[in-house]
Amino acid sequence: MNNVEVLSEEQLDFLGEMMNIGAGNAATALTQMVQRQVNLTIPKVHVLPAPEAPSILDDPSLPVLCIRMGMVGDAIGDLFFIVPDEQKENLTSLVERAVPWDSRRRDENPHPALSIPQSNDVDLSVLTEVGNIIAGVYLTAIHDFCGLNIYHCVPTLAVDMIQSLLDESFAAMSSQVEAIIVIENEFVINEHRIRTFFLFIPDPESVKSLVNSIGRARMAYGAG
Amino acid sequence: MKNPKSKVKVQVSMGEGAVARAPQVVSSTGLGSCVAVALYDPQRRIGGLAHIMLPDSVSLNGHHGPYRCVNTAIATLLKKLRARGVTNRDIVAKIVGGARMFASYDGSETGIGDQNIVSVKHLLTREGIRLIGEDTGGHRGRSVEFHLDSGKLTVMVIGEEDKEI
Repeated sequence: MNNVEVLSEEQLDFLGEMMNIGAGNAATALTQMVQRQVNLTIPKVHVLPAPEAPSILDDPSLPVLCIRMGMVGDAIGDLFFIVPDEQKENLTSLVERAVPWDSRRRDENPHPALSIPQSNDVDLSVLTEVGNIIAGVYLTAIHDFCGLNIYHCVPTLAVDMIQSLLDESFAAMSSQVEAIIVIENEFVINEHRIRTFFLFIPDPESVKSLVNSIGRARMAYGAG
Repeated sequence: MKNPKSKVKVQVSMGEGAVARAPQVVSSTGLGSCVAVALYDPQRRIGGLAHIMLPDSVSLNGHHGPYRCVNTAIATLLKKLRARGVTNRDIVAKIVGGARMFASYDGSETGIGDQNIVSVKHLLTREGIRLIGEDTGGHRGRSVEFHLDSGKLTVMVIGEEDKEI
């Protein structure tokens, strides 16, 4: 993966540090939610051109579980929380003891590619809440460091190839510069590891304000 | 984009297009709200496929690839086909994609997928090109293979059997 030259190396590192704080908070929240110890590995941050988004996966033709949330406030765009389908067995360790969430989805049959043995509604709802939590902690970290007020909207879920899930967002924000920020993380629950991706897809104006804010924050916090 | 004559399989990514001839196969994956438009001359067994993102280019500034929007994508494919001796009357078209992958926030409105489909059909009618097949709409992502020897499209959806149109 080649990082787009939107952020300098130092700014990219600083963004990673911000996200790491967020990851720590996510681990606490998720541990509480599933009633067992959840740890998150140090996030890896990538900045990519939009067409390269599918390259974050080993095989982009395989389905992924995907939560989409709108992003509003000081940055506008879309947020995605993605778990590759092959991780779904490990997901059961996350959802086993989770409190069932009574969220009513649009009435579609459970995705045939998703074969988690328990009730599909419970599993997918929990994933929606996980995405909600992750978005919340990362946006809070950005707020705390950069002073930007960015909010995420009601999550919606779909399961399919990553390219097909992202293309509407890319179309909606089509322009010269299309940089997306990918935060790669692993959830560790006992011996299970779940590889996850969180994507920021800001519109072109928002990319500028994010980059400027990150740059300013980095200077304010020093080179350290 | 490499010279399509040099390879049998040609891959078209989001916002791209290609012209090819038998026995080549042009494929594109991950169609969500995007539409793939296949134009084909059954006599000469020449055609083109574009993976299109947007219904029209009006809202964009000038700097975008020609295959990104319906109007410029189809115009570009037609120009390339005409350069190879094909006229609109010789061409048949098929459309794949234009799904809505996520429920919209207010539960209403047509999504970009629907707009893409309408835009393609409108333009094909205007150009006098017959639409002879489609697999569009719904909520599922699609991948497509366009076989230039037969003009057939294979449409693949995860968890379902491959479909031919």
